[in-house]
Amino acid sequence: MSLLSIKNLHATVGGNEILKGINLEIGPGEIHAVMGPNGSGKSTLSYVLAGREGYEVTRGTIAFKGKDLIDLAADERANEGVFLAFQYPVEVPGVVGMTFLREAYNAKLRYLGEPEIDAMEFLKFVRSRAKTLNMSDDMLKRAVNVGFSGGEKKRNEILQMAVLEPDLAILDETDSGLDIDALKLVSDGVNELRSENRSMLIITHYQRLLNYIQPDHVHVLAHGKIQRSGGKELALELEAKGYAEFSGEAA
Amino acid sequence: MALQQVNKLPFEGLIAAARSHKLGNWHSKLSERASERYTETGWPGPKTESWKYTSLNKLTSGAFALAEEYSAIVPEDMIMPLICPRIVLVNGVLNKELSNLKQLTGSLSITSLVDLEDHQKIPFDDLFKKEESKEYLPLTYLNTAILSDAVVLEITKGSKCETPLHIISIGSGNGIMFAPRLIINAGNGSKVDIIESHVGCSGSEYFSNAVTQLYLGDKSEVGHYKLQNDSTGSFHIGLTRAVINNGASYDNFTMSVGGKLSRNEVRAHLKGSGVECCINGAYLGAADQHIDNTTFIEHQAEGSSSREVFKGVLDDTARGVFQGKILVHPEAQKTDGYQMNRAMLLSDKAEIDSKPELEIYADDVRCSHGATVGELEDDLIFYLCARGIDRESARRMLIGAYISDAIDEVKNIDIRSSIQSVAENWLKQNLYGK
Repeated sequence: MSLLSIKNLHATVGGNEILKGINLEIGPGEIHAVMGPNGSGKSTLSYVLAGREGYEVTRGTIAFKGKDLIDLAADERANEGVFLAFQYPVEVPGVVGMTFLREAYNAKLRYLGEPEIDAMEFLKFVRSRAKTLNMSDDMLKRAVNVGFSGGEKKRNEILQMAVLEPDLAILDETDSGLDIDALKLVSDGVNELRSENRSMLIITHYQRLLNYIQPDHVHVLAHGKIQRSGGKELALELEAKGYAEFSGEAA
Repeated sequence: MALQQVNKLPFEGLIAAARSHKLGNWHSKLSERASERYTETGWPGPKTESWKYTSLNKLTSGAFALAEEYSAIVPEDMIMPLICPRIVLVNGVLNKELSNLKQLTGSLSITSLVDLEDHQKIPFDDLFKKEESKEYLPLTYLNTAILSDAVVLEITKGSKCETPLHIISIGSGNGIMFAPRLIINAGNGSKVDIIESHVGCSGSEYFSNAVTQLYLGDKSEVGHYKLQNDSTGSFHIGLTRAVINNGASYDNFTMSVGGKLSRNEVRAHLKGSGVECCINGAYLGAADQHIDNTTFIEHQAEGSSSREVFKGVLDDTARGVFQGKILVHPEAQKTDGYQMNRAMLLSDKAEIDSKPELEIYADDVRCSHGATVGELEDDLIFYLCARGIDRESARRMLIGAYISDAIDEVKNIDIRSSIQSVAENWLKQNLYGK
């Protein structure tokens, strides 16, 4: 059975239809890449899956672990195991990184009906995860993303993912704004989290990221629909030929 | 005669009634002088510049009598949560039974109005001095004209008080007016932290017209933290006036959460050089509350610094006012002044009026000010929700973080965390189910 099953998904933003019939099946442990030109609906897809207000599903279904996602609020989806790594992580003034992680972690435990975690135990757990991503204690003591560089913000997203251990991670343009060193660090962090129980949906404009995080399947999204699907060789083909083939009007 | 009726000032009847309570010749004279000055100064109206955002119509349309009861039960859940010696005033009068007078150490003395020594009467006269007459303080004169007690606190020079002192002013009763009056005299080189909690008994609706005067001796360090948590439906007009001498440090913070209409005016006169002065505050308003914070910082001498950070959160139809004036005299070279006022509006109908004012007569100074008004951004809320935190908790976390940024200015850590818990309580009580 698929972990995520999207059928004929239509969605509007501010009254404009952006997604026009998406079909996508992601099995457990699979890594799927969705590529496409700017304005194709890639980020909209990620927000629709994460449950952002203002992104309205008008037709179709999204089943996650057999459950209908559409009726769940964003926090419920997160606690069910959906994680969105933001393209532009938000600065959260006044909320300390460690506190933020603990609140999120405990929210999930409460959702699952389990007791909250001991503060010291949690600190050790986060530190071990942060080490892999080369994140210092100091970064965890600061307000979330405030004053962080682009690379630090993306690393912080991956740290949150490592701590919250989602079943499905959606990485929205995680490579944007990263230099080669930062890209490598972030990719290593993501690869560390690959497991047979964790699926990923990597949304990207460029093939570059896929050199580091190798996908099982690649899809081309244009005009709100998946136009072509294939293996990782499809990404290389797109890199060579560009999106020109898909830039005309939708078929 | 009809004309005189029209010109009659609010609360004049109460001044007459208060005459019967006078404690001796000095007190009667004080009251008379204050009453005369009150009449000369006149009541603040819509054309009074320093009151233009705060109308007192709701106050003057009510009927108030002088308080006559001076006992109450301390509303423990309203005051600043701190374990330390207390001085309790009920309806403006020192209540010795509720106060921990015996716990006070020798370096700290408390005197009430009946026992004042001559030198302790000087601060009352200060407000009538010619040099101060430019200050527009009608409600302070009203306070002086009707007061039935005053508490004078003296900290011996050179003594460092380890534990803070908590002054609790309780309002108890309906339709009453009272005038809490505190005078704090910190001797040269002394150190003390004073907390004022202004609270009311549940269901009481009153008018508290409070005045606190502070004198900071050379190189003294005074922390002064005020919680205005008067009962719903009450009025609080408070003046804090600090005279600060050479090398002294004054750390002031006001947390306003209570009352129907409140004004907290802080006037700091930096008489000495090398003074460090912080006038900070936070306010949280809901329903139809009106919360006014007005500050005046006067740099009179060279090389002093002042810092001002105010942050507020306003919901429903609440209205906030921030007026911050910094005056730098020609002699006050090398002045360093900073002022910031930020407000977050949680509803379309909430309002903030912000008026910064710099008046600088020295040429070698550094003064900056800024003000922002914002809303809680959807981007931020979604970010937290996407990590599993429900919308309500996300809002509370973000608003809490916003306001704690100002509370972090408080220098004393224990007091900082107790102000923090007052804010958290407010958020729990006011932001549920929205």
